[in-house]
Amino acid sequence: MNDTVLVLSIASAIVAATPILFAAIGEIITNRSGVMNLGVEGMMLVGAVVGFWAGNETGSLTMALLAGGLAGVLLALVHAVLAVTLRVDQTVSGLSLVIVGGGLSSYIGTSGDPGLLSAPNGVEVDPLLPAALRDLPAIGPIFFGHDVVVYLGVVVVIGSTFLLQRTSAGLSLRAVGEDPAAADAAGISVVQMRYLATAIGGLGAGIGGAYLIVAIVGTWQNGLTAGIGWIAVALVILSGWRPWLALVGALAFGGLNGLGFTLQLAQIDVPSDFLKMMPFVAAYLVVSIVSGNPARARKLAAPAALAQPYSRENR
Amino acid sequence: MTANVSPDTTHLEVRGLTKSFYGVRAIDSVDFDLRGGEIHGLLGENGAGKSTLCSVLSGLYRPDNGSVLLDGEEVQFRSPQESANAGIGMVYQHFRLVDSFTVAQNIVLGLRRDQRPSSMRQVNQLVAELGEEYGLPVDPTAAIWQLSVGEQQRVEILKQLFRGARVLILDEPTAVLAPRETDRLFEAVTTMVERGHAVVLVSHKMAETMAYTNRISVLSRGRNAGSVTTADTSPEEVARMMFGDAAAAVRTSFGASATVGDLVLSVSDLQVMGDKGQVAVDHASLDVRRGEVVGIAGVAGNGQRELQEAIAGLRPITGGTVTIDGTDCTSAGPKETKHAGLAYVPEDRLGVGLSPGLPLGHNLALRSFDRAPHSRRGVLSQSSIDATTDHLVAEFDIRGNRTGMRVSLMSGGNLQKAILARELSEDHEVLLAAAPTRGLDMAAADAVRGHIVDERQNDRGVLVFSEDLDEIIHMSDVVAVMFKGQIVGVFRGDEIDVDEIGLLMTGSDSMHGVEIADLYPTEEEPEVSS
Amino acid sequence: MNGLTSRFRVSPRGFASPLVRFGVPFLALIVALIIGGLILAMAGNNPFEAYRTMFDTSLNGWSAMTRTLALATPLILTGLAAAVAFQMRVYNIGGEGQLYIGAIAGSWAGLALPPATPAVIMLSAMLVCGAIGGALWALLAAIPKAYLNADEIITTLMLNFVALSLMNYLIFGSQSFWRDPKRTVPGGKRLPDAAIMPSLSGRLHIGIIIAVVAAVLLWWLLRKTSWGFQIRTIGDSPSAARYAGMSVRFKTLAVLAVSGGLAAIAGVSEVSGVTKGLEPRSLATDIGFTGIIIAVVARSNPLGVVPVSIFLAAIATSGSTLQSIGIAVEVVFLLQGLIFLTVTAGEFFVMNRLEFVSPEPSGDSIPGDTTDLPAGAT
Repeated sequence: MNDTVLVLSIASAIVAATPILFAAIGEIITNRSGVMNLGVEGMMLVGAVVGFWAGNETGSLTMALLAGGLAGVLLALVHAVLAVTLRVDQTVSGLSLVIVGGGLSSYIGTSGDPGLLSAPNGVEVDPLLPAALRDLPAIGPIFFGHDVVVYLGVVVVIGSTFLLQRTSAGLSLRAVGEDPAAADAAGISVVQMRYLATAIGGLGAGIGGAYLIVAIVGTWQNGLTAGIGWIAVALVILSGWRPWLALVGALAFGGLNGLGFTLQLAQIDVPSDFLKMMPFVAAYLVVSIVSGNPARARKLAAPAALAQPYSRENR
Repeated sequence: MTANVSPDTTHLEVRGLTKSFYGVRAIDSVDFDLRGGEIHGLLGENGAGKSTLCSVLSGLYRPDNGSVLLDGEEVQFRSPQESANAGIGMVYQHFRLVDSFTVAQNIVLGLRRDQRPSSMRQVNQLVAELGEEYGLPVDPTAAIWQLSVGEQQRVEILKQLFRGARVLILDEPTAVLAPRETDRLFEAVTTMVERGHAVVLVSHKMAETMAYTNRISVLSRGRNAGSVTTADTSPEEVARMMFGDAAAAVRTSFGASATVGDLVLSVSDLQVMGDKGQVAVDHASLDVRRGEVVGIAGVAGNGQRELQEAIAGLRPITGGTVTIDGTDCTSAGPKETKHAGLAYVPEDRLGVGLSPGLPLGHNLALRSFDRAPHSRRGVLSQSSIDATTDHLVAEFDIRGNRTGMRVSLMSGGNLQKAILARELSEDHEVLLAAAPTRGLDMAAADAVRGHIVDERQNDRGVLVFSEDLDEIIHMSDVVAVMFKGQIVGVFRGDEIDVDEIGLLMTGSDSMHGVEIADLYPTEEEPEVSS
Repeated sequence: MNGLTSRFRVSPRGFASPLVRFGVPFLALIVALIIGGLILAMAGNNPFEAYRTMFDTSLNGWSAMTRTLALATPLILTGLAAAVAFQMRVYNIGGEGQLYIGAIAGSWAGLALPPATPAVIMLSAMLVCGAIGGALWALLAAIPKAYLNADEIITTLMLNFVALSLMNYLIFGSQSFWRDPKRTVPGGKRLPDAAIMPSLSGRLHIGIIIAVVAAVLLWWLLRKTSWGFQIRTIGDSPSAARYAGMSVRFKTLAVLAVSGGLAAIAGVSEVSGVTKGLEPRSLATDIGFTGIIIAVVARSNPLGVVPVSIFLAAIATSGSTLQSIGIAVEVVFLLQGLIFLTVTAGEFFVMNRLEFVSPEPSGDSIPGDTTDLPAGAT
């Protein structure tokens, strides 16, 4: 019963959702401070290649995730300098991160001897919970069969919701994203807050990238993320900047990602190219439709100062 | 939490303060002093340096030179927070409130854990109590966007009191208020000074400054122009300090209208929705004839902007009609209303009236670029655009432009002149001008008013909106009052009654409802709300 | 940051002189090359040797130049595609997908018309078909943007992946019209001779002429026509444009269609002049993405797109020869990314003037005229 199509595909959707989730939660926090960072794809790539390298060197999942996260933070800080301090167009700056991330990760991936391209995965990712729980019918593989990072994802959703809604740090963060002049007048450092939030975004994307490579893909190749970072960006818009809805969305995209696997198991023949297209078609349609519904668009309103640089003296 | 201060000792002193922006001195060696228990008026024209002085005191700007002494000790504020911690609270004219947050959230925003109760419920209660104590009632759980402008101002004041402010700086607090709200504000301010707080009232309105302050200091062109005790001075003396000897030469009077001609703009039973889907203009009717200036008085946010946009063809009309010089423009776009004879000076100069990042020449051609001589068969003639630019710059005395410069770097007065130049230089029969002098200095404002009233002499009609009631009464032959999307009163020539207009602006019942009804032919009118 | 603004005064420039507008991106390129050199040095390579090798293989001599110009051809077109949209502040990130669709539609025309069709007609038909295909593909993003205000960055980007999968399906996933059934390794049918762009010299084909003409034409459209006047106004302030009676909606559709059409012509140029059949692997080489870098570096000026494309093409063509001196090809991507980054940062110095503020804060030492004071600064 635990190897039925449905159970296996749900379990795989949950795993596939995890990297998207980490990246999306990070981006939500960045956006909530008023910074738009479109460079998620680039940060994930750098996080992946650095995480893979660290995993190979140490054999530790923790080190892989930490190294990947740190790499994401460093790249995010480049965006913070451009977008917050130099106040350049945040769209352009974010895109530059995608390209830098893509270039840097391919360069890192092929440099060194032997290069990472041919390297095997050095990290063992084990289920967290005992076999007794994992073997429970149906709910075992779906709820109890995962590694620690999947559960950490749920913790991050709860934690980020609490942070944003219930703490004064969260209140300050949101104020900076809604009305930086008001936050500034209330004594909050807009620059500090935005740097911090942008770095958290990089951390999420970097961890997401590292998890993707060590737990799911297992080998490095150029452009490994293949659009997952962009899916995360779309998801942030669709979720209305709310972590809980991002979780739901990530699961849906994880499911679409694993759809080929499901259909294959169910012996339904759909060309694989169409399966690969599915998440992107879905994101395209949903972004178009959601934006078009005024009632929903208002309810899911973006942070009011999103992508607007702030400067005290030339308001 | 309200700090336990002994306000009687409060003494704020400013010595030789100087601050420049881009090489221009906004304030120059300014001295100022303030004591607990007094309301100190800070007067000056726009650009005299009042806002800059306040921004230095509130820690937003750092001075180039000079010192600030609080209770005899020199202080240097590196951030608004340091200033707030020292007990100085600033209430800006443009409120610094987060719209989507509640009142209480805004009040505790940025406070450390030890400066506020941990639970929001306690905060709510404290805010309610504080409001009660000072006569500033407001619902702590309401979101800011749900509140009226007056209520939002109370939140700003409560925010400062909650943080233990001993010195409160109110920047043009009455600019956005209706007369009744103004009275209420000053009751609260009186309570504050009775409790030992010191209040700085920044203003450019003579009457309220004379009525409510203990002392008055005047700034002019960034320098001290004198400091007097209110009881020992006269409006004439203060005016002399503000404007120099030119004070005697008051604004030119425009006199009565010449001959009133045909109907040139007619708004009938108009209904328009606002941005949030609410009814913004509610069965409003208005007529403008050739040779007259119709002024619309009203507190901001009562549907004026939506009405302007609907007339100009920028906002869809859900009911009623707009007719411009005999052409039905109910479903017209901005091109059609212009073609029908409307010249439009929008409220938002940079962003609507002008494209901020583009040069002056481009902006002066903004509404005529697609016609000869500026373009033929879709091909632009730069020489024609340049020639028009040179001509208008000379005719309307537009200064501060350099070839290729983004228009946003010109001063407000020159921006407004540029818009007027463009709108008035092309064929038109009626001028719609919204907040035409907002933020301009005296000289620029007078020039703009002159251009507007000249239209009347040229046998055109004018519809002007302004929050400045004095300006409306000064310029208009007919004054209409707008409240909650309705035209609640119309006054002609001698009937114009400042007190009654003030009452109508706040939504009070008219004392002469019958007269108003007579002015409206339609059955639904008047809808004088109570 | 506070530390920065307290020692330096940052003030907006009213007008950036041509020296600043073109000099700053140029300096940024140099800075990118220096940073790239440092990274190479850290990785144990000799940056001077690397750059000399790159120069020799891409710009030194006629045959090197033709290789570079051949690669610059599609880059100019995708650069223009991004630039025209940026002029209106519409972010068309979908040049990549529009290029694939152009390649698919263009090669369809080349394969569907009788092989005996005269080359002029054949090539024109391919260009028109490709451009229409790319324009329609771009409209998939333009329509939700114009009518529903959907974020075009996300939609154009998502459509890239869809177009890529579609192109892969036509060759690798099915026996489509485009696929050559006789080849064992999946590949596209070879285009007839009339459907192949004549060579000018070596790999360089007439596509470069099309690209340069497109650049001049686009510059003229944007600068000298009332259509361009409207595009520039909308790009600066949509609300001012609406007030002036311009239709932001139709211009959004038009600009994205033009942008998609240009990227698609790059696709036609590649299938017709280079791959000579629909070959997904050779077409999916980030030409569309590189166009975005080019447009940013060229500050959306169509005439600037041409030299910038040639410069980036030079870096790309020389990449493969770097392997002979032990440097990975991927350094090309790294350099492109660094250039994008430094030029983006440079934009700050184009828009603002940075002055060192002398330690003693005295107003007298700072000259200035009141015209520099922005509205409402006091």
